[in-house]
Amino acid sequence: MMNGMERLAAAINGTPADRIPVFCNLLDQGAAELGMSIREYYSNGEHVATGQLRMREKYGYDNLWSLFYVGKEAELLGCRHMVFAADGPPNVGEMIIKTYDDIAGIRVPDDITSHPAFAEELKCLSILRREAGGKYPVCAYITSTMTLPSLLMGMEKWLEMLLCGPADLRDELLAKCHEFFVKEVQAYRAAGADVLVYSNPFGSTDFVSMKYFMEHTLPWIEKDIKAVGTEGMVYYCGSARFNRVIDIVQQRTGIGVWYLSPLDDVAEGKRLIAGRGLCCGIINDIEMIDWQPDRVRQEVKRIIGAGKPGGKFLFGTLVMPFAIPEENIRAMLEAAYEYGSFEN
Amino acid sequence: MYDQIITAYNEAIFDTDRDRALQVVRQAEQDGMSPEDIVFKLVMPAIELMLASVSEQMNANLAQHFLTSQIAAEVVEEMLPRFRQAPEACGTIVIGTSPGDFHGLGKRIVIGCLKAHMIETIDLGLNVAPERFVDEAVAHGAGVIGISSMMVHTARGENGCRMVRQILRERGLEGKIRIIVGGAPYRFDARLFKEVGADAWAENGIAAGSVIADLLQEVRP
Repeated sequence: MMNGMERLAAAINGTPADRIPVFCNLLDQGAAELGMSIREYYSNGEHVATGQLRMREKYGYDNLWSLFYVGKEAELLGCRHMVFAADGPPNVGEMIIKTYDDIAGIRVPDDITSHPAFAEELKCLSILRREAGGKYPVCAYITSTMTLPSLLMGMEKWLEMLLCGPADLRDELLAKCHEFFVKEVQAYRAAGADVLVYSNPFGSTDFVSMKYFMEHTLPWIEKDIKAVGTEGMVYYCGSARFNRVIDIVQQRTGIGVWYLSPLDDVAEGKRLIAGRGLCCGIINDIEMIDWQPDRVRQEVKRIIGAGKPGGKFLFGTLVMPFAIPEENIRAMLEAAYEYGSFEN
Repeated sequence: MYDQIITAYNEAIFDTDRDRALQVVRQAEQDGMSPEDIVFKLVMPAIELMLASVSEQMNANLAQHFLTSQIAAEVVEEMLPRFRQAPEACGTIVIGTSPGDFHGLGKRIVIGCLKAHMIETIDLGLNVAPERFVDEAVAHGAGVIGISSMMVHTARGENGCRMVRQILRERGLEGKIRIIVGGAPYRFDARLFKEVGADAWAENGIAAGSVIADLLQEVRP
């Protein structure tokens, strides 16, 4: 039987495999697995690594995560207040940019690995590498330059600044975010992350018009990817659709893995990627909370049926909500292994 | 008569060019367009057009929604005092994000559109307790409570819409106050609004304006 790393490599290279790779993004569920609160769980990298390893072992999917929660990046840039919930991911509780004047005060750490907020992630990564390195791809989550300001000032104020704010300050902030992005990618790679999920809702035409994308977002995507290379990079727009930009982003950056939105047409995405990379078909795991297991199976069958022919396909989830019943997680994975098999 | 102005305004909005859109409004004023016509023939139809673009799959996007609502609110606020006759108030809504939710973008788009619809809007801010939604609705005589949630656990949580529904029921207010919800989790699961006890939901901030106007009609004494 192949392991997750072999399946992923086979899918990317279009070589034979036992089945398609299956990425199941369980994060907060690790706390329940270890019988502790979400706050306690995320306080220690050892907890997160243990939770990740246990869940992968229990369900048999193909990936591991070093991500704690998305707001972690805001902590690395100075945020000191996260709001923890009992049944969902922590929220950024304090925006470090409250007025445009605060932009000048943003300092990108010279060495982000020495930041206390990164230390636990490093601990987690080191355990994951020790226990599963080379067998199961370890994923890291990196917010793009264009999107990172939304974690620092809120999506509302960032969108306002992008559309109506002073261009010089906007560019100053983006330059700092780019500097942080590059250092973060380098730190994750050095620590052994295999897959780097490049999260960029502003890279979706659900967020901005095509014209805006071409004039503002795309140049920053090009700059980001040029600075760090495409190795392990996955294009992802935080659940927003991006089929319309696949071709141009592929041409300009050479990114080779596309983590679609559940709202994207999988077959269309596959056609647009046209064999130049790996197409990831994603299930709507928010709706899945209330589905019956049979409905889960049908949906998995539909997605894999649209993407698997011709290979170079991965089945995946968004960040699975805490409320998804375990029987639905099992139904989804069993169906993915069955319909994703190449051995029938 | 105003075809050129309307076209120029709509183009500016679709290009998310705020300065150009406001320039068109200023030019319209100089050309003698009345404050009433600026609101009802220029700004409001642009909101309707944006809504049609969404439903007709013309790929309207979040940035366009944001700008349409912000400019609409800005222009309506400026024009209203200059109306020959004060327009009839359409009702009041209190609006905020659910407990534990610190995402204010959707709420802000809705508020902009509500201002354009001339609906009195009380912004309760972020992370609003269920009791406060109801208390403020009663205090302001609001016919609608709007609850915005960007995260699955804040949309579905016991202290969000579900609790607001329970309080309305316990206080015998269900006939007087409607609940509307919105935000990403509802877009990914169109049946979720019923699950959490809301009366309605809106797919986006632009659509929320007209849904709320309809809800206010339902509870009008």
